[in-house]
Amino acid sequence: MKTRIIPKRISAFFIFVLLTACATGGDTYRDQNMDFGSVQTIAVMPFVSLARDNIAAERVRDVFINKLLSTGAVYVLPVGEVARAVARAEIANPSAPSPEEIIKLAGIVKVQAVITGSLREYGEVRSGTSAANIISVSLQMIETQTGKIVWSASSTQGGISIWNRLFGGGGQPMNKITEKAVNDLIDKLFK
Amino acid sequence: MISSISFLNRVCVLLFASFLCLSGCTSTKEEVRREAHTRGVEFSIAIFPIENLSGTMAPLKEIERSLTNRLNTRGFHVLEEEALEKFMARNRVRYTGGIDQPMAQALRKETGAEGVLITSLELYSDSNPPKIALTSRLVSTGDDPVILWIEGVGFAGDDSPGILGLGLIEDPRALLEKALEMLAGSLGEYLDKKTEREDLKHLGKKFRPKASYRSDILDTDRKYTVAILPFVNRSARKNAGEVMLLHFVRSMKKLEDLDVIEPGVVRQQLLALRMIIEEGPSLANADALFAILNADLILTGKIMDYQDYQGTYGSARVDFSAQLIERKSRRVVFSSVSHNEGDDGVILFDWGRVNTAHAMASQMTQLIGKMILEDSKRVQGTKGSSGQAK
Repeated sequence: MKTRIIPKRISAFFIFVLLTACATGGDTYRDQNMDFGSVQTIAVMPFVSLARDNIAAERVRDVFINKLLSTGAVYVLPVGEVARAVARAEIANPSAPSPEEIIKLAGIVKVQAVITGSLREYGEVRSGTSAANIISVSLQMIETQTGKIVWSASSTQGGISIWNRLFGGGGQPMNKITEKAVNDLIDKLFK
Repeated sequence: MISSISFLNRVCVLLFASFLCLSGCTSTKEEVRREAHTRGVEFSIAIFPIENLSGTMAPLKEIERSLTNRLNTRGFHVLEEEALEKFMARNRVRYTGGIDQPMAQALRKETGAEGVLITSLELYSDSNPPKIALTSRLVSTGDDPVILWIEGVGFAGDDSPGILGLGLIEDPRALLEKALEMLAGSLGEYLDKKTEREDLKHLGKKFRPKASYRSDILDTDRKYTVAILPFVNRSARKNAGEVMLLHFVRSMKKLEDLDVIEPGVVRQQLLALRMIIEEGPSLANADALFAILNADLILTGKIMDYQDYQGTYGSARVDFSAQLIERKSRRVVFSSVSHNEGDDGVILFDWGRVNTAHAMASQMTQLIGKMILEDSKRVQGTKGSSGQAK
């Protein structure tokens, strides 16, 4: 009797292990009531940088704006126009504006959504003798009518892989993983 | 036997006669100079002091003198240094990286010069291998300063090492002379033919932007006037914004459908409007510039990295983004992000390696110019930004 139960338990365990591979990261939030098709123009606010590199946030924002424009799905305001609107709306911290500030900003530049972001990691990471480049970005989309967050996602690319640990190599160039992370976020936005 | 000797004699006589005839076609150096003089005398050029954008010490006076000598040798009428100095003192000219309208009018009126040669030194390194990068442009004087000709050169001593390093240039003077000879030759060619369009077929695909957007608002059949603003400099390299501006001026000037406004004129208007562009122009700034410059497009951008390396080991690096704003629609009609390193795509023996940021940026900006005028509805970006909404 015992011999029959054990294989069942083992197979149930293996099925559970295999099913975990189908799980998603769960790092994306989408407001189910939001009509994303109504978003025609977006303002991308300056990203906040939690990394050591001071201009990294600006670099990632630039790549993100270009990639978003190149999808052809939405129009992104020029950064100079966003800076002017931020100054006119007197937003103290443009990387993390309050809902009231966003509504005020939308009145100036006529956008349907605002994207804010933070760069959590950018540059080289080390573990023992291995080193590789890493990037970690998280973004939020805020609807300008209500000031509510309607989409949020994050992406981490690069880092030390098993290959790096075994054979070295230093990982991928920073620009390459930045593009990968931005493409990943855009894929999540349009999913 | 006799007949073969007489045949040889005849051949010798014929060769001698043809040699005599051909010697009649040669002319002395003096004659060449006179011929060149009569050719270039109609166009008088003032050579402005070299603008140093390299951020390092460089023999500017020597470069200026060498360039003047080369143009004199080719027979062009160059305004005397003393006359130019007097003009500059009288008119309080301090900026030599461009020319604005009042200055162009005064230069024509007071000195009679029909064009002004503005040269910017982008890179000068005399350590082995030496490196040099220069951009030179000829701007007309008078009521409407227009860029007539523009050319840039970027050389490193180890660009073509050849077999056993026989092609290496270790003397910075030799490299400088090579660069100036190329510039003077190109200018001479322009003044002879009055045409300059560059073949864009030889540009490496690896220098294409990594992501780009082109709106179909841009009409490929129309001729646009474009004002190029200095790029916002976020790199460690001094004057990289102005250097990038010159690259774009050169690339856009080569395109038939774009008229580029002289950067000196744009600078004067920015000063007149007291406009400081920290992140890029706002639409209100763009409107004011469109109106005052009578431009159809404004090109602006940000430079993140512009790096040359010293010595033998290292890699040049260029990283920038560019945006084009259109007057009528008040929208961004072209946007791109580009980054490359000198050893991109190099697999064996440094084949295809680019040793100066100038040479690389030149190709990158020319490809962007080409893409702006491309007839395709949208230029495809890299994987993940396929140009279609998902």
